Amino acid sequence: MQGDLNSFGGPVRKLAVVSQRDSLPPPPAARGSSTKIVENQTYDERLEINDSEEVASICTPSPRYRGLTHSARLPNKTMADNSSDEYEEENNKEKKKTLQLAPQHGFSENDDDDDDDDSSETDSDEEDDNERHGAPLEGSMVSSRLMVPPAPSETCVALGSRRVLSEPGRWPLTSGGHVLEKREQIYVLTRETCLDRSREHGQAENRAYDPADYEHLPVSAEVKELFQYINRYTPQLIDLDHKLKPFIPDFIPAVGDIDAFLKVPRPDGKPDSLGLLVLDEPCAKQSDPTVLSLWLTENSKQHNVTQHIRVKSLEDAEKNPKAIDMWIESISELHHSKPPATVHYTRPMPDIDTLMQEWSPDFEELLGKVSLPTAEIDCSLAEYIDMVCAILDIPVYKSRVQALHLLFSLYSEFKNSQHFRALAEGKRGLAPPPSPSPQAGDAETSTLG
Amino acid sequence: MMLSRAKPAVGGDPPHTDKRKKKGRKIPKLEELLSQRDFTGAITLLEFKRHVGEQEEDTNLWIGYCAFHLGDYKRALEEYENATKEENCNPEVWVNLACTYFFLGMYKQAEAAGFKAPKSRLQNRLLFHLAHKFNDEKKLMNFHQNLQDITEDQLSLASIHYMRSHYQEAIDIYKRILLDNREYLALNVYVALCYYKLDYYDVSQEVLAVYLQQIPDSTIALNLKACNHFRLYNGKAAEAELKSLMDNASSSFEFAKELIRHNLVVFRGGEGALQVLPPLVDVIPEARLNLVIYYLRQDDVQEAYNLIKDLEPTTPQEYILKGVVNAALGQEMGSRDHMKIAQQFFQLVGGSASECDTIPGRQCMASCFFLLKQFEDVLIYLNSFKSYFYNDDIFNFNYAQAKATTGNTSEGEEVFLLIQSEKLKNDYIYLSWLARCYIMNKKPRLAWELYLKMETSGESFSLLQLIANDCYKMGQFYYSAKAFDVLERLDPNPEYWEGKRGACVGIFQMILAGREPKETLREVLHLLRSTGNTQVEYIIRIMKKWAKENRVPV
Repeated sequence: MQGDLNSFGGPVRKLAVVSQRDSLPPPPAARGSSTKIVENQTYDERLEINDSEEVASICTPSPRYRGLTHSARLPNKTMADNSSDEYEEENNKEKKKTLQLAPQHGFSENDDDDDDDDSSETDSDEEDDNERHGAPLEGSMVSSRLMVPPAPSETCVALGSRRVLSEPGRWPLTSGGHVLEKREQIYVLTRETCLDRSREHGQAENRAYDPADYEHLPVSAEVKELFQYINRYTPQLIDLDHKLKPFIPDFIPAVGDIDAFLKVPRPDGKPDSLGLLVLDEPCAKQSDPTVLSLWLTENSKQHNVTQHIRVKSLEDAEKNPKAIDMWIESISELHHSKPPATVHYTRPMPDIDTLMQEWSPDFEELLGKVSLPTAEIDCSLAEYIDMVCAILDIPVYKSRVQALHLLFSLYSEFKNSQHFRALAEGKRGLAPPPSPSPQAGDAETSTLG
Repeated sequence: MMLSRAKPAVGGDPPHTDKRKKKGRKIPKLEELLSQRDFTGAITLLEFKRHVGEQEEDTNLWIGYCAFHLGDYKRALEEYENATKEENCNPEVWVNLACTYFFLGMYKQAEAAGFKAPKSRLQNRLLFHLAHKFNDEKKLMNFHQNLQDITEDQLSLASIHYMRSHYQEAIDIYKRILLDNREYLALNVYVALCYYKLDYYDVSQEVLAVYLQQIPDSTIALNLKACNHFRLYNGKAAEAELKSLMDNASSSFEFAKELIRHNLVVFRGGEGALQVLPPLVDVIPEARLNLVIYYLRQDDVQEAYNLIKDLEPTTPQEYILKGVVNAALGQEMGSRDHMKIAQQFFQLVGGSASECDTIPGRQCMASCFFLLKQFEDVLIYLNSFKSYFYNDDIFNFNYAQAKATTGNTSEGEEVFLLIQSEKLKNDYIYLSWLARCYIMNKKPRLAWELYLKMETSGESFSLLQLIANDCYKMGQFYYSAKAFDVLERLDPNPEYWEGKRGACVGIFQMILAGREPKETLREVLHLLRSTGNTQVEYIIRIMKKWAKENRVPV
């Protein structure tokens, strides 16, 4: 699949070889025939557009063709032609309540008649129309295609009134069983609309000023004469402009095109089943090239290979903590896989086990009374390091770096020791202070941090 | 709300770390990476091998293959171009190069390279699609005849159907192949794409779920799912779907990034449109249309027109958009030509079999009749879908005008008052029609207040004329007289005096009939006195006489 492939590049033209049938619906003008029976009007019937300048349009209407052919039905089996019967049986009881609706539900049949009248329509078109209209109305088709009820004429024709488009309610937005309810609603609304209209037309007539209403006023001749002035001015009919605010469509999401099988094969000629078993798209979790390169270098044991690895930079790093975490995680994993670095001390140092020995009981007792010096003590960092190393029996030579290394190794050893962790947690849970020696050292070094 | 989520939002991590640990222990094999479709990893591996000299045969072709399927066509082009320059180059490479050119949109080069390749099915398919791009029907037929009844050729044909909006034909092919090859899961996504285009979003979701169940992190499928959610629910639901897609993708994942960026703009209602969309115009076909929609929403009609004027419409969406832009521009410039084009496009879409029962189709028909000023018909269409647009200012603006024009001023007033947009409320069309509705509905005071709130301008003068005459017609002489009085001061036209005279006498009549309070007479006399006409004295004398007789203080 190629998301950025230019689709819809060419015009939607009839592709005779490719398509077995006419692909374009006839233009509206061809469908609306003035000789049709009035009762069977469809929407286009009302397309009597008074337009003397009408020119033969050079742009063929090429809306998407939604017709369904016989060979392929939508997955929903109730799409079959008899679905309307099923529906009627189902709702037979309720339907009796709304007898006036008879023409409404029959409009798909009406469509057939309509098509028969129209000789230019092909058989497949007829079928298409039937299904197109039929599917959403019967409510059995699980489609969300936002359809509004098709033919406007029926309801009011049944009521002996002028054509009024039926009110859609929330027509086929939902699929299924509420259709009849809506029909009732349609009936009610439509009738109301019809009544409303006639009432208002009447009102409009009545409300205008009529001098005859005031002739009976008992007034002097003089005043009566004065009243003449009212009719001497004829109010002008002021034509107001109209402005169509065009309906701006919703934004249109892009789904891309369908795999056209214009893809390079594997160099070894083996089948790759891309586009068949799986979509031809990379999986979402691609290796990080930098991390993989480091792994490869590591594993190949060719450390002498001076490979220049491009380390990518991250844009908007502050907005992408995930990527940073991933990076840190993968790199630390890489480091973990390497053997730990060993440090060779230049001067003799006690080993860790010795350092981990308990302090003398005297010292332990003292620790219960005085606390170890904290980092807040008023001295330089170097002095503080010397002090802490002295307490922990770590010798400090010329440079403090090696002493510190041993100090942190000791800390790390305590921290990772199962025994002391359990001990520390148990102590913490039971009695808060005073802290025993290992823990004290623990706290100590952490303040160094 | 998302009911059809297929992938658990929590708990996706463990297999991930497993995989990585495994990777840590040994060098990944090329075959493994390819079967995982980890093409980035594969390229890295191949490059490493090339670097340390473990080069096998065809490494460059393998890198080309991986880059191609990764969607990095520029990289693939590099490799293939180099390969064709080698001396003992396999002639098959030419068709690979041609395919790469095709996806880079370099169709001329693709054709040239394609002809250098030996005859093959891939070559034929490529030339078939190129003929479609070039709109060369004759060549198209030739290459079509060469297509065979093998899966790849048929799928390639289905893809052409899809691009030509013949979705049902495409579905037919996919279903036929699926019947014999249940294991071709990807075809479900193709079918889902077709149903999406046919607006059967629920069906699309259903078919899509089959694929997502097996491959829950598929970019194309998740994007389609997001689009279905956008149509079925809203932008928020759609964005959530895309978000899970982006969260799960690794940072080095570049595939379909443009598509996702584009759709994020769509799902967020145009947010960031000007940053994201312009570079995507002519890369993603919808980008141009969305940019036009964005400009329309910003009332920048001229920009919208510039973007769309050279577009030859083929889909209903394109026809509608061209119609909308022409209608907006035509009304802004008062150009009949543009209005005419708009009306024709609207009629075309609204009358087409596929669109006539959709809301956009009905909107088109209503717009068409509106431009033709057949307002009874406008109402028929607007009524048929008004329940979807109860609080929509644009709908109400048009609807109220149609109501008022056809004489239903009470509903007209009601609908006008639903409009929230300050811009629309200050539009003279709104003010004048609402004033007319008020007057017809016996609320002349409200109409007068509309005038009072306006700045003095040509439009306020027009509104005065409207109030003066419409009130006069309806026997609401008090506000008619007030309006004529102001008109007379602004323009000493004798006609205004006649109007004012009649209106003043009209008020007098109403007082006599008991329809106006007697105290109003004082104001009438005041209005009359402001005109220096000889008739004034005569009228005042009669009125005063009556006042004296009836003990009305003046």
